Amino acid sequence: MNGAQHILEAFHRHDISTVFGYPGGCIMPLYDALVDDVGVEHVLCRHEQGCALAADGYARASGRLGVCIATSGPGATNLITGVANAHRDSIPMLVITGQVPSGLIGTDAFQETDVLGMTLGIVKHSYLVDDADALPAIMHEAIELAQSGRPGPVWIDIPKDLLLTDVTEAPFAQSTQQATSNPDLTEALAMLRAARKPLLYSGGGISLAHAEDSFRTFAESSAMPAVVTLKGIGNPGKHNPYNLGMLGMHGSRAANKAVDECDLLLVIGARLDDRATGKLDGFAPNAKMIHIDADAAEINKLRPADLAIRGDLNDILTALTTALQDRPLAIGDWQKQCRTWYTTAGFHAADNEEALAPITGPAFIRQLSRVAPDDTVIACDVGQHQMWVAQHYEFDHPRHHLTSGGLGTMGFGLPAAIGAQFADRNSTVINVTGDGSFMMNAQELATIRRYNLPVKLVVMDNQCLGMVRQQQELFYNNRESQINLDDNPDFVAMARAFDIPALHIERTDQIRRGIETILAYNGPMLLHVAISREENVWPIVKPGASNTDMIDETARTAKASKEQVA
Amino acid sequence: MNPQSQPSTPSYTINCRMTHEAAALERLCQVVRIRGFRIATMAVETADEHLNIALTLEGTRPIAMLQSQLEKLHTVAEVVLGSGSVARSRSA
Ligand SMILES: Cc1ncc(C[n+]2csc(CCOP(=O)(O)OP(=O)(O)O)c2C)c(N)n1
Ligand SMILES: [Mg+2]
Repeated sequence: MNGAQHILEAFHRHDISTVFGYPGGCIMPLYDALVDDVGVEHVLCRHEQGCALAADGYARASGRLGVCIATSGPGATNLITGVANAHRDSIPMLVITGQVPSGLIGTDAFQETDVLGMTLGIVKHSYLVDDADALPAIMHEAIELAQSGRPGPVWIDIPKDLLLTDVTEAPFAQSTQQATSNPDLTEALAMLRAARKPLLYSGGGISLAHAEDSFRTFAESSAMPAVVTLKGIGNPGKHNPYNLGMLGMHGSRAANKAVDECDLLLVIGARLDDRATGKLDGFAPNAKMIHIDADAAEINKLRPADLAIRGDLNDILTALTTALQDRPLAIGDWQKQCRTWYTTAGFHAADNEEALAPITGPAFIRQLSRVAPDDTVIACDVGQHQMWVAQHYEFDHPRHHLTSGGLGTMGFGLPAAIGAQFADRNSTVINVTGDGSFMMNAQELATIRRYNLPVKLVVMDNQCLGMVRQQQELFYNNRESQINLDDNPDFVAMARAFDIPALHIERTDQIRRGIETILAYNGPMLLHVAISREENVWPIVKPGASNTDMIDETARTAKASKEQVA
Repeated sequence: MNPQSQPSTPSYTINCRMTHEAAALERLCQVVRIRGFRIATMAVETADEHLNIALTLEGTRPIAMLQSQLEKLHTVAEVVLGSGSVARSRSA
């Protein structure tokens, strides 16, 4: 068995059935081995960035390891954005690249790049294989490492000659499963019981730890008001009466208000990112903080915790639920207050009653949320449309919402949707994208067609880079710079060129029919939604400002854009 | 950017033991730099499978934050903060 065959053998052993890749010179031995292999489905994307982001979407939707493969040089550099995206959102990923033959490394050989060196900052760990016999141990370790603790991408760069060298498999030390933790929660419970206004603050760490169920049980049984980060959306479930939705820069006034007023913040699986907290000085000024996370390095990183608990989130949440069982928290007044905020200052975009009126982003997303089946996966791109999804789509599970949080990668949505569809061929997967983002990985329409994936594409076309335009309007004196896209291609014709049917809508009365049509169609279909160029995402906190200084549309029209409206 | 430290930049000594693999020092230096510290001195010794690295670092951020980031590196076995870590002036 040579190195290439061994890699496929390791895939089998670890139950890896789907990989995303693109061939080329130095990785050819692996592609040669794939010809014989029937157990691994190799998905050919049309750009290596598409491969990496599809592997990322696959991992997010399924909770399993995402795998991507590319050749040396340009293949590897094209992967980088996708791997960085996975790194910033702690997505379990295995990256395999071919490298120039061992003897040519360091000679500026054709398609040589220092992949190990240039990716140090975007991997959890990486290897340059220098001995074929080391490959079995490396494959095993890499696959475990990518998925354990705080997950992340692990990159294996392997010279072409080693892919062709016979591998003798020596026994190697297998890492042992981590023992379940038995955390001491006495102090946390005392703080929870002492608090009058405790608030649950959860992030992407919940689904990374596969702790969705234990989180939901805890949230429901404690009945604590809850806010979520962008990646925590869906954690409390859409029927939790105390779910205040997303906090932060484009969060709801209700969520930010609750953070401002709470006296105890229970942070679980979140890293207090600046988009969520706003200016740290003004963040949860009256609250003690309990920080629960798998990663010790997140504790005290940005805001010191009054109590930190590091460990397995499942164990901790289950133990907390049990401990609170006999005696619920006495927080009736606080719950009532938060419900009131939710009613008066949550996200409740009104449906536009005027049939002939232009479509607004929020109204469209609310309709989509109502019409799409319950377990629909939405893969977002980056921009205003992404925030409208976060604000107005009602998610019942965090794995239904795929969004590029840490890196904010335009072009994420389409390949991520492809990955999600491979994770479950029967699920409904919708890529909600913008006219800017769509063009960043539009080549992947060919992948959708090739594998006949029933992915639905919704292009919210405001003829501009809307999110940038909004900030130019609000924070740069409306001096528009390089955001105009009014010469976009005809997206309907473009989809059809890939043999994907498409539909255009522009009026409110067409929304429902449009959504129903693409959902009913047995195959991929694109919905082109023309929306106003001038629309903004509300509310917004100026980057660097405090979350209590939210700006609303009323503030804009009153030309008092920097003043807070009470 | 500025080669001269502010006079009051705190200085720390740390000792790091990590697996002796090709990219070991690069990994270490990369984390030190991105987390806000500068290397003033560095001594490296090989001991079997490991490297022992003694560093003097300067930076205004909490050193505990760097320590926890270094400990996250898969190949780092141990990071020990030296007792002589005190604020000192550059000229001292
Ligand atoms: C790869 C990349 N380049 C640039 C940006 C900066 N950026 C953030 S949002 C945005 C505009 C996105 O435009 P579009 O996809 O049309 O979405 P809209 O905001 O109009 O809904 C840009 C350029 C980014 N996030 N990612
Ligand atoms: Mg746009």
